[in-house]
Amino acid sequence: MEEKTEGALPRPEIEEDSCKGCGRCVAACPKKCLSIQEHMNRMGIRPVGYMGTGCIGCAMCFYNCPEPYALRVVKS
Amino acid sequence: MKTIEQKGMYQKFPRSGKDTRVTHYCAGCGHGIVNKLVAECCAEMGLQDQTIFVDPVGCGVFTYYYWDAAHISAAHGRASAAATGVSRARPDAVTIAYQGDGDLGAIGFNNAFQAASRGEKFGCIFINNSLYGMTGGQMAPTTLEGEKTTTTPFGRDPALTGHPLHVCEVFNQLQAPVYIARVSVADTKRILQCKAAIKRLFEIQRDHKGYALLEILAPCPTNFRMDPLKAADFCKNEMETEFPLGTFRDVEKGVTPEAIGAQHQASAALEVKSVPHVASCAELFGVSDGVDAPPAEDDPSVPERRFKFAGYGGQGILSLGICVAEAARLEKRHTLWFPSYGPEQRGGSASCSVVVSGTPIGSPTVEHPDVLVCMNQPSYERFVGDVKKGGIVIVDASVPITKQPPEGVKLYQVPAIQMAEDFGVPKAANTMMLAALRAFKATGLDDAHLETALCASFKKKPQLVEKNRDLLHRAETALLNN
Repeated sequence: MEEKTEGALPRPEIEEDSCKGCGRCVAACPKKCLSIQEHMNRMGIRPVGYMGTGCIGCAMCFYNCPEPYALRVVKS
Repeated sequence: MKTIEQKGMYQKFPRSGKDTRVTHYCAGCGHGIVNKLVAECCAEMGLQDQTIFVDPVGCGVFTYYYWDAAHISAAHGRASAAATGVSRARPDAVTIAYQGDGDLGAIGFNNAFQAASRGEKFGCIFINNSLYGMTGGQMAPTTLEGEKTTTTPFGRDPALTGHPLHVCEVFNQLQAPVYIARVSVADTKRILQCKAAIKRLFEIQRDHKGYALLEILAPCPTNFRMDPLKAADFCKNEMETEFPLGTFRDVEKGVTPEAIGAQHQASAALEVKSVPHVASCAELFGVSDGVDAPPAEDDPSVPERRFKFAGYGGQGILSLGICVAEAARLEKRHTLWFPSYGPEQRGGSASCSVVVSGTPIGSPTVEHPDVLVCMNQPSYERFVGDVKKGGIVIVDASVPITKQPPEGVKLYQVPAIQMAEDFGVPKAANTMMLAALRAFKATGLDDAHLETALCASFKKKPQLVEKNRDLLHRAETALLNN
């Protein structure tokens, strides 16, 4: 999935080891293109992931995320 | 490449290990969202080199690890007093005090109130999550009527503990402040309003206009005992009813108390609704009364056995340790349980040591355990090298074995997290580990005692007793069959 969407913009970029899996971004995304993933990060928490399509670059996920570096939005 | 990303923070947070840049806040914490906004506003306005933050005591204590600006740490409740000194000594600086509701609303109320009354030239960001967060969710002056906290387990009763304190409304009675507002971080719209308000606060301080107070309603999922989304809903639906949002005063923009009217005044009529219910300690904490747990008896034939349980906070590591210690108590052994965790209530590294012995125990700390139980990778890497020869390591199967245990140490990989999820009770991963301890005969304690201890640990939630007992048996059967 990752390879296919590498160039597609805008898109959120997730630093999985910084994610605490709270789900605030999933609820805030107007396009519902984020979801909690199956696998675990280093801490044993299931991190959020981008489904690969749908991002409009609104950055609602970024502002709802309580972690400074878990999520950023690449616009162009 | 144009990206929207964090500005105004350090690239690494050294407190949480050299390779991470994760805050100490629990998942879904309002502090985290506010911290990001404050750093972003400070950076966007180009004020990082001018700003001096005065940090509080409470969950917000570690902002000096995060915000890339100058910091001074104040004693509990004294951030406004310290900020007074800073703003007078450095009138050219932008001084911002960051305080919580235990800090500002309770112990430091007079410091903050008098500073506001004098019109000191600093901005105060006041995080209201309606309770004391770091110390374990006790009632704060801002706790809502009927809200359950660890010190008001039956809900805050105004007849016994008074009504919620409306800090903005109280401060709004003063002459000197130039800006008073209340915002929230419960959803996207509110977060963006909050960012605008923080910007205004910085503007006022940059222009040295006078005292500004910004109250921010923030969810505390851990102590509300809710998931992050429900906590945000609580913040929006319950807290805002008691603490209405709005700009109470912005003198430059013509917003004054007179213009706002009387609807935001502190609540008036005191209504006594019920006779306060005073609970006993046993009722509150579910502690045993000494009858069901006999005193320890000396038996030199029983050697000392040392346990270490480790993982991240929220996995039930500490409870698992208590279970083993309680089982030892039931067996009339000497036992000690010793927890170790950071300031974060969820998500940080947590571990506990348990010592069980037939003779009195010297120290509760365990450097070289006989039995090590690990629920995540960092704790496995940290403790596996310490296990004694002949010891046992039980580790969750999700953890990659990056490091082999010392020679003579037996390693069991148990899919505890996966099993708990398969059974439909993700929180019961620690019960799965208890099943593993029983299945591998790792504790040297009686199986029945371990089971009784497990049931006793759910004293406060009787509906979970049978469920966990059932899970224990199912997990044990599954483990023994594999």
